[in-house]
Amino acid sequence: MITRQFGSEVRWMLRRPRTLIGLFGLVLVPIVISFGIWTAGEDEGGGPPGLGAILQGNGMVVPIFTLFLSLNLLLPLVASIWAADGLAGEAQHGTLRGLLVAPVSRVRLLFVKLFGLAAMSLFAVTLMAVVGIIAGTAFLGTDGMMTLSGTTLDTGEGLLRIALFVVLVTFQMVSIGAVALAVSAATEHPLVVQAATMTTIIVFQVLGQFSSLDWLHPFLITTGFPGLIDVMRDPVPLDQIWDSTLLAGCYLLIGTGLAAMRLITKDN
Amino acid sequence: MTTSTSAPVTAPSTTAVAARTRGLRKEYGSTVAVDRVDLELPQGAVLGMLGPNGSGKTTTIRMLLGLVRPTEGEIELLGRRLPDGAEQVLPHVGALVEGPGFHPFLSGRENLVRCAAFEPLLPRKQIKQAVEEALDRVGLAQAAHRRYRGYSLGMKQRLGLAGALLVPRKLVVLDEPTNGLDPAGTREIRKIIAELHAAGSTVLVSSHLLSEVEATCTHVAVLHRGTVVAQGELTELLQAGGSALQVITPDVEKALSALRQAKISARPLGDGLRVELAGTSAPQVIETLVQGGARVFEATRWKTGLEELFARLTEAEEAERGMSAVDTLDGGSR
Amino acid sequence: MNNRKVTLAAAAAGVVAGAAGLGLLAMPAGAGQPPTLPDVSAESLVEQVLTSEPGAFGGTVQVDNKLGLPSIAEIPQLADGKHSARIWTDGNGRFRAALPNGQSEQTVVHDGKTTWSWNSADNEVTKAERKPDGSKPDERKPDAKAEAANPAEAAKQVVGLTKEFSDISVDGTARVANRAAYELVLTPKASEKTLIREVRIAVDSELKMPLRVAVLTNGTSEPAGMVGFSEINVGPQDPKLFEFTPPAQAKVTTPEAKEERDRDRSPELGLEQALQGENPQVFGTGWDTVVGARIPAEAMSQVPAEAQGLVDRFTKKVSGSWGSGKVFTTKVATVLIADDGRVVAGAVPEQVLFDTIGQVK
Repeated sequence: MITRQFGSEVRWMLRRPRTLIGLFGLVLVPIVISFGIWTAGEDEGGGPPGLGAILQGNGMVVPIFTLFLSLNLLLPLVASIWAADGLAGEAQHGTLRGLLVAPVSRVRLLFVKLFGLAAMSLFAVTLMAVVGIIAGTAFLGTDGMMTLSGTTLDTGEGLLRIALFVVLVTFQMVSIGAVALAVSAATEHPLVVQAATMTTIIVFQVLGQFSSLDWLHPFLITTGFPGLIDVMRDPVPLDQIWDSTLLAGCYLLIGTGLAAMRLITKDN
Repeated sequence: MTTSTSAPVTAPSTTAVAARTRGLRKEYGSTVAVDRVDLELPQGAVLGMLGPNGSGKTTTIRMLLGLVRPTEGEIELLGRRLPDGAEQVLPHVGALVEGPGFHPFLSGRENLVRCAAFEPLLPRKQIKQAVEEALDRVGLAQAAHRRYRGYSLGMKQRLGLAGALLVPRKLVVLDEPTNGLDPAGTREIRKIIAELHAAGSTVLVSSHLLSEVEATCTHVAVLHRGTVVAQGELTELLQAGGSALQVITPDVEKALSALRQAKISARPLGDGLRVELAGTSAPQVIETLVQGGARVFEATRWKTGLEELFARLTEAEEAERGMSAVDTLDGGSR
Repeated sequence: MNNRKVTLAAAAAGVVAGAAGLGLLAMPAGAGQPPTLPDVSAESLVEQVLTSEPGAFGGTVQVDNKLGLPSIAEIPQLADGKHSARIWTDGNGRFRAALPNGQSEQTVVHDGKTTWSWNSADNEVTKAERKPDGSKPDERKPDAKAEAANPAEAAKQVVGLTKEFSDISVDGTARVANRAAYELVLTPKASEKTLIREVRIAVDSELKMPLRVAVLTNGTSEPAGMVGFSEINVGPQDPKLFEFTPPAQAKVTTPEAKEERDRDRSPELGLEQALQGENPQVFGTGWDTVVGARIPAEAMSQVPAEAQGLVDRFTKKVSGSWGSGKVFTTKVATVLIADDGRVVAGAVPEQVLFDTIGQVK
């Protein structure tokens, strides 16, 4: 039964025009980046800082660079849209009532929504990575994958790194989505959910800039984003990656718990 | 009919009920939406729930379906207490509450398939068939491939009904099912309700259209200001509330004084008077009138329509509250 | 009803657990219970530290810097805060150090013959080869950097240089990078005119290798600077770590070429080089040693305006019988730059510098 509900949920999300538009937009990112780096071409020292500096001729890094960039804004936005449509949107259309009367228990409904979010996030992130590999390899060429530490990994190991990064980014995205689901459970207006989520993410990032607020930083999910780049170091230092993931895990717990509490007590 | 085999044995006094509420109360903040609702929905009945807008019909229905938690009171649905038993009984309940709710970007069929996926009683393999049957039943088969977005109000309503009928139900709850339907559509809904009734399902229809209820229901519950002001079998209610005699007479004054002396309540109406038959009978009234010297041209038994009953029930209270002056005047004229 | 309450409680527990988790994550890693170790005398511990041969290990070094240095965009590692580096060594001179810098990374690998210095930010490898005559041309820079990141080496140097001028004691034990350690404390003797109150060195109880160095200054209880392992694994390291092949896309240059270019690019290097230059003059001994130098007049005038502005922003103007100049103060060190190009610096109060600057030739 639950697999059938999961399946229905994912099919429903995939049928949404805005999901398709969103996925299309996401896929454009690695293509545009590859193209941009390619046209920047031989210019000395050009290119964005950080990971961007080693993109030239290093196409396998494109998926990681793309996801790393997108994690700041684009992926949270997509996750918030899905979370918003999941509960607030269904409430707005009156379809949530239908599901509850079917009946789907409220806790199960939340897990169906969370699963849908996770499945779609994984799908979107994987899609971006795959397109990134293709576009990166096509535009920038590849000879394995050069890491930030200056070592070169062979293709297989490079793909493993990309897969690890895909999983990590997906988890961050799902955690943000879980918090958005909590908001989504509390309102009937999907836009409120998106606005609240994106405002939070942006405010967190701004707060992260103020060193006078450094006591606050460990609590912000956005603090964990930059550490994920450690995937591109060799050997991979795990502590920051682990911290980021635990941080996101806390958000996932809080978001899911709040959403469940709200759903259980909510009148529909 | 098969809800709980033990229920009739342990409680033979009560006829089997599909749903029952006791002392139901729901507050939203400081406003009381529903108060002291004791509703009984006998098995196999078609209960029409009547009431003006804001009388608490929808809130009561939502509580019955476990969508809303009552502030106070008990709900028993198909032999189980809610909300605990919701997962056991709700699969047997089809509902169309507060208008149809579907996704605009999906076709009618896709919407139903999505609903069907969440129906616990529907095996995966039968989903397709159940959806087609439901679409057929509400006459949407032709338009099933079109997006819900483009549906007319009536088509949306039908799709909602189809959703409620995906699985054979023991209880079907329809909140304002004829909203937005043209007369033909309304007739179809009536037909479907009759079919459900014939098949032994219990049906709860809420409506503000009295004729509709009168035409399709076996039982009626009238809600007003959040409470049930009357309920029971339609025929009984009509009889109890509706015994009056319409007398055409030119001698209204004489007639009134004669009746007053006989302690029969009456009031002038049109070119005659209306005599309440409470505590008396038609022959007795006519006898009194004739003895009092009033000429009786015509006397008709007044058969109360639901509309009148409804108006009386919902306005009586109005009168109690706001028009007590009329009341005393009425009393004084007796 | 009950069911609902249970679910509600579970959900609430989830929220609480998540919030508690955030709190735990935000808390600085607890030092843990100090281990119980057999007593050891300060003298023998110092002896063991100086003679210890750490051998092969790999680990993460955390630098916690509260020196009160200004944050300069070009050298973020100097700014206050926590920085980490990873180092590996095979115990025979081959090593690798990875210094993350935001999203970039500097990697220094010494494979026995060649020192490779890779910076991902400019996709460039600097290759310094041991010349046939055996001298090590300009290995200094990358080596110095890597050594500074290695608390074991840093601590050995500190101990070696200062033990005669300090009261040395063992002050309990500590747990560093999950290893049991003695806390060796070097307190400058009363006669030393230094800003530093004490230096605490956590010495691994087994390997006698310093695991952490903390510098405490007068008037504060928190260390002004701390370098220590946050994680260490002792034992042979993957030999691949001590090899480096320049990535296909990277530019490979020699240190000379790079320095040439960098001098134009970052003016603060000029000052650094002047202080480390050919003729540094050392005055005094022990904790209040002062290093002096004279920057050639043309170098002084060559300092670009923006660098001048930078200098002005973080220094204060002073003058005295010795002349006039600017003084730059941090918690552990003071630098005095006279307008005529004389520079003195040391872990001393500025008065000591005023007294010493006259001796600079």
